[in-house]
Amino acid sequence: MMARIQSLRARLMLWLALALAVVWTLASLLAYGAVKNAVGTLFDSQQSLLARQLLSGQVKGVDARLEEPPAPLPSAKRLLAKDARGGIDSDALAFAVFDRDGRMLWNDGAEGHHLTFAPGARGFVNQNEQHGHHAWRVLYMASEDGATIVAVGQEIEHRRDAVRAVVLAQLWPWLAALFALLALTWGVIGAQTRSLRGVARELMQRAADDDTPIAPERVTLEVRPVIEALNALRARTRALIAHTRRFTADAAHELRSPLAALRVQAEVAQLAAHDAAARQHALTQLIGGIDRATRLVEQLLALSRLDPMNALPDAQKLDWPQLLQSALRDAQPAAQANGITLALEEAEAEVAAGASGALPATGNATLLALLLRNLLDNAVRYTPAGGRVTLRRDARGLAVEDDGPGVAPEYLARIHERFFRPPGQSQSGSGLGLSIARRVAELHGLELTLENRAGGGFRAAVRKAR
Amino acid sequence: MRILLIEDDPMIGDGLRAGLTQLGFTVDWFRDGATGFAALASAPYDAVVLDLGLPARDGLDVLAQWRAQGRDEPVLILTARDTLDDRLQGLHGGADDYLCKPFALAEVAARLQALIRRRHGRVTPVLRHGAIALDPAARAVTRAGQIVDLTGREIALLELFMNAPGRVLPRALLEEKLYGWGDEVDSNTIEVYIHHLRRKLGSGVIRTLRGVGYALGDADDCGENAADAGAAS
Repeated sequence: MMARIQSLRARLMLWLALALAVVWTLASLLAYGAVKNAVGTLFDSQQSLLARQLLSGQVKGVDARLEEPPAPLPSAKRLLAKDARGGIDSDALAFAVFDRDGRMLWNDGAEGHHLTFAPGARGFVNQNEQHGHHAWRVLYMASEDGATIVAVGQEIEHRRDAVRAVVLAQLWPWLAALFALLALTWGVIGAQTRSLRGVARELMQRAADDDTPIAPERVTLEVRPVIEALNALRARTRALIAHTRRFTADAAHELRSPLAALRVQAEVAQLAAHDAAARQHALTQLIGGIDRATRLVEQLLALSRLDPMNALPDAQKLDWPQLLQSALRDAQPAAQANGITLALEEAEAEVAAGASGALPATGNATLLALLLRNLLDNAVRYTPAGGRVTLRRDARGLAVEDDGPGVAPEYLARIHERFFRPPGQSQSGSGLGLSIARRVAELHGLELTLENRAGGGFRAAVRKAR
Repeated sequence: MRILLIEDDPMIGDGLRAGLTQLGFTVDWFRDGATGFAALASAPYDAVVLDLGLPARDGLDVLAQWRAQGRDEPVLILTARDTLDDRLQGLHGGADDYLCKPFALAEVAARLQALIRRRHGRVTPVLRHGAIALDPAARAVTRAGQIVDLTGREIALLELFMNAPGRVLPRALLEEKLYGWGDEVDSNTIEVYIHHLRRKLGSGVIRTLRGVGYALGDADDCGENAADAGAAS
């Protein structure tokens, strides 16, 4: 049931009320015991005082030899005016005087009449309720000569009422304290949650792109971790949104540019109907544009096939030297056309031992060829004529190095992002090559690191993933 | 009309230059923001076509600095960035128009014509002077309703005069407007084109002010030789 109460305020108040009720009950039980003892002592003393008084001289005169028993005590109603009677309860205390044979010599004229003689009884006796009479506590006291026996009784109910009255009397302060406490709690929690509600209201009204953090000092210490976590979450969300925005902008650029090129060149070919040279130029450009768009589509397809893979398909034993040779052979025509020297450098010891070093012994040769082609293709594209591209294999893995201009430091962190291409490429590319290479490397338990070389140029290294 | 084109994509840049040239513009093409920025001050351009993702300097940055320097050439942004934010940023950044890739060449040309027209304070697309009418979009010239056969350069030259009626245009300015970077200019080509215009449209169409330059002739002179001049104007 507690779980259903959502409000902190209601929950706290309910618990407070329950706790106070329990404490009050316990306190009342303790008080009941203590008050009962005290009231018992008080009334017992009173009974004994009255009994001794009755046995003293005055009562001695009440004698068995008397023909007429003395008149009962006059009623208090007759002796006292109504407003002077105080809290007298005439049933509270009663007495009777007996002779040694049990004849009632005298009583108080009211309840004492009902007190019974018990031949051997001396001291306090509790008499249970019987014959329509209430339960009484009776003190039997005999005179020293044993001729007169006095019984002083008190209704037990009267004692209980006194105890109950004392115990119940403290209920009201407790109840008052309970309600005061609940009201105070209500107020304090309300004041504390107001700042929270203020923050909530502000967040609701905020513009989606307003990313100023919420000051944690505005709320109480207990709620601060929530606000701080909220701020941290906003920061992370902001970074994610920025990343997504960049991705869509880059993707839009890379997907639209080839189409824009195709369209503009087609229109030029159309316009230049009478200018054979201009038309020929436009058509050549158009074919180049179609090649570029085709390559983009192929790269996209390759990536879309790689993306859902979580295990390597068709892993087979790899012949690395053959794989590298063949990748180099494939890159040769493009390198030659751009006046770039392609070289393969293998650490002697590695090759002699036939060991694969950091590179896996099994894998998918087709995918690895795709990785090598993309890395070599990148290197060849961005190395100026006369440059050199080296495919290096050593104990740490393999690397494609060039002596081109490298990548500006501000773009280095982003070149692995899909569709991102540092602005101002004279070379057309898909912006996906490195993503493809990285994905293939991951599937083989390898890691692609991209860096500018200390001596100038760029290095794409494939190493064992840590 | 001389256009400054700043575009880093080789194929798009090549196509725009070839296409706009076919459509009667003189186009200078730069591939990066830094040289493109400097180029605007070096020749009397009528409009700028600006890509945004540029090497060396971002297009918006280039634009902001031109505007800060007080340059008022109309700028048409041509980019693959197509979100509302991007377009707003471009227009608030001082661009006069915004076109997303891929685009139609004819639309680029039409928007450039419109920007240039507005800059000269005109609202109608067709230029008129007496009986002569020039439609910049169709690259066609009529005289008293009859089509006059002019070459692209002749139309471009006539367009310069008709865009600035009453103004004297020095020969150097005419050359700069008609020829882009790398075009060979013979010392007397302008005279040759003016000669052709006078032959085809009547001798009064262009006045020579010796030692100063050339200006459009009186509107009356341009209609005088035509039989139905009154009806045409």
